[in-house]
Amino acid sequence: MLSRKLGAVGALLVSATLLTGCSTGGSTGGDGSGSGTVKMVAWPGPEGDAMKEVVDAYNAGQGKEDDINVELVLLSRQDTFSKETALMSSKSSDVDVYWTASYNVGQFSPSLEPLDDIDTSNYFPVATEGLTYNDKLYALPLDVSNHFLLYRTDLIDGLLNDPAAVEVYKSISADVLGEPREPVDPQSWDLDDYKAMSAYFSKSTNADSPTQYGTILQAKNLLYNTMIWNDVLWGYGGNWAEDGKATIDSDAGKKAVQLYADIYKNKWTSPDSAQAEFPETQAALQSGNVAFAMQWSAAYAALNDPEQSPDIAGKIGIAPVPGGQTHVHALSVSLNKYSKNKAAAKTLLSYLATTEAMTAYAEAGGIPAMPEVLSQNEDLNPAFGRVSESISEYGYSEPVFPKTFQAYSALAEALSGAWVGETPVNDAVKNANEALQELLD
Amino acid sequence: MASTFVRQKKHGASLILSAPLIIFAALFVAYPLVSGTMTAFTSKSLLDPTDTFNGVDNFVSLFTKPAFLNAAGFTLSFAAIVVLCEMVLGFGLALLFDRKFPGKKLFFTLTLLPIMIAPALLGIMFRLLLNEDIGAIPAILQSFGLSVSLFSPSSVVPLLVVLDILQWTPFTFLIIYAGLQSFPKELLEASAVDGATFLRQLWHVVLPVLKPVLFAAFFLRAIDAIRTFDVIYVLTAGGPGTSTTTLSIFIYKVAFEQGDFGKAAAASVVVLICLLPFVPFIVKRIASSGMEGK
Repeated sequence: MLSRKLGAVGALLVSATLLTGCSTGGSTGGDGSGSGTVKMVAWPGPEGDAMKEVVDAYNAGQGKEDDINVELVLLSRQDTFSKETALMSSKSSDVDVYWTASYNVGQFSPSLEPLDDIDTSNYFPVATEGLTYNDKLYALPLDVSNHFLLYRTDLIDGLLNDPAAVEVYKSISADVLGEPREPVDPQSWDLDDYKAMSAYFSKSTNADSPTQYGTILQAKNLLYNTMIWNDVLWGYGGNWAEDGKATIDSDAGKKAVQLYADIYKNKWTSPDSAQAEFPETQAALQSGNVAFAMQWSAAYAALNDPEQSPDIAGKIGIAPVPGGQTHVHALSVSLNKYSKNKAAAKTLLSYLATTEAMTAYAEAGGIPAMPEVLSQNEDLNPAFGRVSESISEYGYSEPVFPKTFQAYSALAEALSGAWVGETPVNDAVKNANEALQELLD
Repeated sequence: MASTFVRQKKHGASLILSAPLIIFAALFVAYPLVSGTMTAFTSKSLLDPTDTFNGVDNFVSLFTKPAFLNAAGFTLSFAAIVVLCEMVLGFGLALLFDRKFPGKKLFFTLTLLPIMIAPALLGIMFRLLLNEDIGAIPAILQSFGLSVSLFSPSSVVPLLVVLDILQWTPFTFLIIYAGLQSFPKELLEASAVDGATFLRQLWHVVLPVLKPVLFAAFFLRAIDAIRTFDVIYVLTAGGPGTSTTTLSIFIYKVAFEQGDFGKAAAASVVVLICLLPFVPFIVKRIASSGMEGK
C-alpha cells in the first residue's frame, strides 16, 4: 500500500518536473503577416482612456488601410506592471505591445524589441533618451508626467493682499524657520517658503487658517511617492548617487526627509497622509481642506473642471515645485520581443509616433511627449504650456540603471517611515543608502 | 480466475475514476510546487530570465536581512489576533442565530454580506469610506465631534485588524452555525434536566461536540490570515516603512517590484515548509474528533 502511495507521489512529481522543463522553452516571436490583430495593454485612468480613443480612431480609419485591428486591454492601474512582469517571465506572446515607462524600461529590456527604425524626431529628446537603454530605444514616449505646485489662488492672494495676514505670516515663519520671511508668490517659492506656508495655512499653528492643513504629503510606501520626494531632494541640491556611490545619506538627503517629518509631526499635513497618494491628494484639494500640494501634472485639468471639482474650480493656480526641480518620466509603449505579429505591431507604433496620433491623444485628455503638439493645443489644457516649459527648463531624470524601478520601491520602503516621523531620519537615510548602493552595485 | 479479473477491472476503474484528480493535482499542485521550488535555487529575475543555479543564496539573503523576518513577525501576530477574535465573535454570532427571532433571515443575509465581496474591492471601498476628506465614516464621526485619523501610523494596524475581523467573522460564524444545526439538541435537554447552567452546557456539552467544526474553522481562517494580502496592500502597501508588510506583500514586492523571482520563490518555499507540518496534525485532529463524535 505504502509503495503504491509513494509511486503515485513519485509519478506526480516526475510529471510536474517534465511540465516544468517543457514550460521554460519560449520562442523569440516572429514578424507575422504584417496585418491582423495587434493586442496591446494599458492602464486605466487619463492615459489609458486617451489611448483607447486613439485606438478606436485608428481602427476606424488608418487601421482599415493597414489591415490591422488593435485590441486594447485596460488592466488595473496598480498592477499593470506586475501582470506584464508575469507575462514577460513566461516569455508570453499573448500581448504584442506592452505598456512601459522610463523608470522600468531598463528592467524590462530583455523582453522588449528595440525600436531603432521608427521616426522619433517629433518627441522631446529627453523623453526618448529616458527610454534608451544600452544605446537602444526600447519604447516610444506616450505621456509625460512631472510635478507642479497646485495652489489655491484665492487663499494665496488673500494672504499677499492683507497686511495683517502678512504680519501673522512673518511671525509664523520666524518660529518655523528661525527668521521672518515675507510671503511671496508661489511662482518663486523655495522649500523654506513651502514649509512656512504649510505652517501658516494649518490650524495646528494658525488657528485663523482658512484651511485645516497647509498641504498634503504623499507619504504612502509607494514608488511613485519617491518620485515626488525626489523633487525635495533635488531641490536641496541632492541626488541619488555620484560616481556610482549612493548619496541619500548626504546633508541634502537628511534635510529632504526632515522637511517631510517636520510637516507631518507638526500637523501641517493630515495624519492620514501617511497613506496618501495621487487620489488622496486630489480629494484633499477638491474638498478645500488644504491650500496647496505638490501633485502630478495630470491632476490640474480635473481640479479646474467645475463638474469634477465644484468647490475649487477656477481657484487653482499652477507653479513650479518649490525648490525648482521636477522629476520627469514618460509613460510609453514597447514591442514584445516574443510577439508573433511584430510587423503589424511596428506599423501601429509608427502611427503612434506621428503628430496626428498624438494630437488625437491630447484631444482625448493625454499629455503627449511632443513639444509641437503641446504648443498647438494649449487651449485644450492650460497645463500643456507649463509642462513643455518645465521639461525643458527645470526637469531632471533620476540616474538610469538596470534596477531604477527597484530603487524607487526600495527608497519608499526605507524612507516612508521617517517621512511620517516613525523612524529616526539618520537611520532611515542610512538604510536607504545601503539599499540603493546594493542596487547600484 | 474470475476473482482476478474482477480485481483487475476494479483497479482499472479506480484509475480511470481518479484520473481527473491526478491530472488536476499534477497541473495545479505538483507543477507549481516543483517549478517554484526549482526557481528558489536560481537567480532568475526580470533582468536575467535564465534559470541560473545559485545554490542557497536566496535563502541566505532572506535570513540575513530583517525585511523577511519582520514580515513574518507582523504576519504571525496579525493572524493570531484576527483569528482569535473571529473565532470568538463567530461562535457568539452562531449561538445568537441558533434560536428563533424576528427578522432572522434578513440579519443572517446581512451578516454574510462581507464575505461575498472580493477582498481587493473591499479594500478600495474602505479606502473611499475612510478617506478623511470625502469618506462617509470620518464625516459621521466628525458630526459627533470625534476626529480620528484612521490612517495615521498609530491607528493603522488596529484599523487593519478591525477590517479583517469585519470581513471574516461571517466566515467562522457560517461554519460554526452549520455545526450547531447538526448538533443533537437532546444533549442540551438532558443536561438542562440535570441542572446544568448555560455556561456549563457551553463548556461541557457544546464545545466538545463542536470541536472538529471549530478546528476546521480555525485552520481555514489561520491559513487565510497568514496569506493576507488584498485589503492591506490596497490600503497601506505594507507601510509606513514596512510596518504592515505581510509575508504575501513581501513576496509580491520581491517578485513584481524587484523582479527577483528566485528570492520570491525562496520566500514562498520557506512559508510552505513552515506551514506544511501543521497540515497532517490538524487534519488528523479533525478526523479523529469526527470519529469520536460518531
